[in-house]
Amino acid sequence: MGINSFPLLMILISYILGFLGILFYKNNISRAISTITSIILVILSGFLLKYTISNGEFIYNAGHYTAPWGIELLIGNTEAVFAFLFSIIFFIVNWYSFDSLKKEIEYKRIKIYYFLTNILIGSLLGVIFTNDIFNSYVFIEIGTLASCGIIVIKNKRDNFLATLKYLVLSSLGSGLFLMGIAFLFSITGNLNMSAIHREVMNNHNTYTQVILVSTALFTIGLGIKSALFPVHTWLPDGHSSAPTTSSALLSGLVIKAFFYLYVKIIYRTLGVELLEVQYIFKVLLVLGSLGMIMGSILAITQSELKRTIAYSTIAQMGYVFFGMGLGNKIGLVFAYYHIIAHALAKSILFLSAGAIVNENGNKYINRVNGIGKRLPIELFAFTLASLSMVGIPMLPGFVSKWNLASEAAKTNSYFLVAIVLISGLLNAFYYFPIVVRAFFMDSEKEKSDTKPLFNINRALPIILLSIGLVYVGINSEKIINIFLSGF
Amino acid sequence: MSSVILKTVGRIIVPFMQVFGIYVVLFGHISPGGGFAGGTILGASFIMTKLAYGNDYCKKKFKFQKLLTIATISILFYGIIKGYSFITGGSHIDSPSLPLGHPGNILSGAYIVPLNIAVGIIVTITIYFFYSFFDEGEV
Repeated sequence: MGINSFPLLMILISYILGFLGILFYKNNISRAISTITSIILVILSGFLLKYTISNGEFIYNAGHYTAPWGIELLIGNTEAVFAFLFSIIFFIVNWYSFDSLKKEIEYKRIKIYYFLTNILIGSLLGVIFTNDIFNSYVFIEIGTLASCGIIVIKNKRDNFLATLKYLVLSSLGSGLFLMGIAFLFSITGNLNMSAIHREVMNNHNTYTQVILVSTALFTIGLGIKSALFPVHTWLPDGHSSAPTTSSALLSGLVIKAFFYLYVKIIYRTLGVELLEVQYIFKVLLVLGSLGMIMGSILAITQSELKRTIAYSTIAQMGYVFFGMGLGNKIGLVFAYYHIIAHALAKSILFLSAGAIVNENGNKYINRVNGIGKRLPIELFAFTLASLSMVGIPMLPGFVSKWNLASEAAKTNSYFLVAIVLISGLLNAFYYFPIVVRAFFMDSEKEKSDTKPLFNINRALPIILLSIGLVYVGINSEKIINIFLSGF
Repeated sequence: MSSVILKTVGRIIVPFMQVFGIYVVLFGHISPGGGFAGGTILGASFIMTKLAYGNDYCKKKFKFQKLLTIATISILFYGIIKGYSFITGGSHIDSPSLPLGHPGNILSGAYIVPLNIAVGIIVTITIYFFYSFFDEGEV
């Protein structure tokens, strides 16, 4: 049992240990099991990353049957990097949840939360690793239900509405995705991604319409799940009403995994050589640009703190789709890099926003005045992450935005460059007022409670994420080389 | 909800439903059926009991916590057995596994019978839970 089997082992461990938590059905045991799972995942994915960097990508057959019949897992550098990122963020968010969950959800539901997060991370890893298109559909369904669960677990009216919206829209997405699979299966007779690619290359001249339709179905289906601009409407409600740690997981990880699945389908299953797929890149470029601008404008108009951050996610996913829509390798690599940057920064933002909301007892932005004196560490991390979002040098947001802009400049379309720059500026318009309010304005309350509050389970995870953010920013070249050597 | 007719008929019909459900689960690998189909039949027999004898009787008989534990143990059993099969198959480890047996026997087909039984238990309990949730909002 070598490192080859680690991906399958990671998926199995997160599922099996999740159910072990249900078996004992006690809060503390569930929490311990979830934490142990996340530590195991971090260790295994670390080894996996080291292995793929030195040995290149490999294929693992789950079970006794080989490729066209059995299920394959394909792990390259990109998959390993994302698995490592997901595991680390899962671990840190789990750590943060020790204290915050008690304040946000009912006592008897805490164990269910840990069970659901275990299921969620297992299915996300499955979506990333699998090389079988129907297997990915199964993982998508599990992941969607688990993410609905961690939104509705708060048991408030907003959460019911948001979850219902999310459930309906993402069921629609799943349905469209399944239709796409059905169309592809009818012309190729395969469900394995590599085999589909082989068949499509042979007969794409005969079935141009079918390929176009299935590409469109995949785009809309996975676009709903990964918050592509016009079909993002479930995201702000869901991500802002969920408990803090759920928001961090949903915004940081879930939509990224579905985006990566989309990349796998476009690049590895259909193939970028096809003319039909080339149309989609133009669509993605337009929708990504629209998402960048509109997401930011909508974020400026919000008055709730977590809602602002949720709308910012749409803008940042706009960058990711924009990078993919450039249609070349470099654009895609910087989309990947932006995923890492955004996953870390958005986790920090949601975790520190959760701390602010819990401390204030109020979710509105105009009540954050003077909170910087009471929560210095959280607000410092918030500032750092928002600087990364805006794109200040040394931080990862700058690297991806700069390179996306220069990549757009190579297409001789200065309009696209202008959109990237304007969107970066718009980010500043909604993050900096919060920071300014928090640090430089006085609280309306009496000044007796301005003593800094320190909670180790709240501060240390945020500090760790901030260190990770700066590390990713400084070592950007190394990470990009890992992605580039994976192609 | 419960009436004399329902109780009398239920008492006669439930054992037959259960025997048929168990038959479908056990013969799933050599004839039509399987864990899911058999599980729904068994679950239907549970629902029949609930219809005939009422909620209070069933709450005493089928405790939520007990059923949940049984279902979870079945899922864990399934996960461990199938995971073991996946890992040993994928990594080409020549470790002990259940024999394939003679085609047509009940005890054949390696892991299929135990996995079918696990699925049958899970589906039975889930079907019963679904009915209870929709009927009265709790188990």
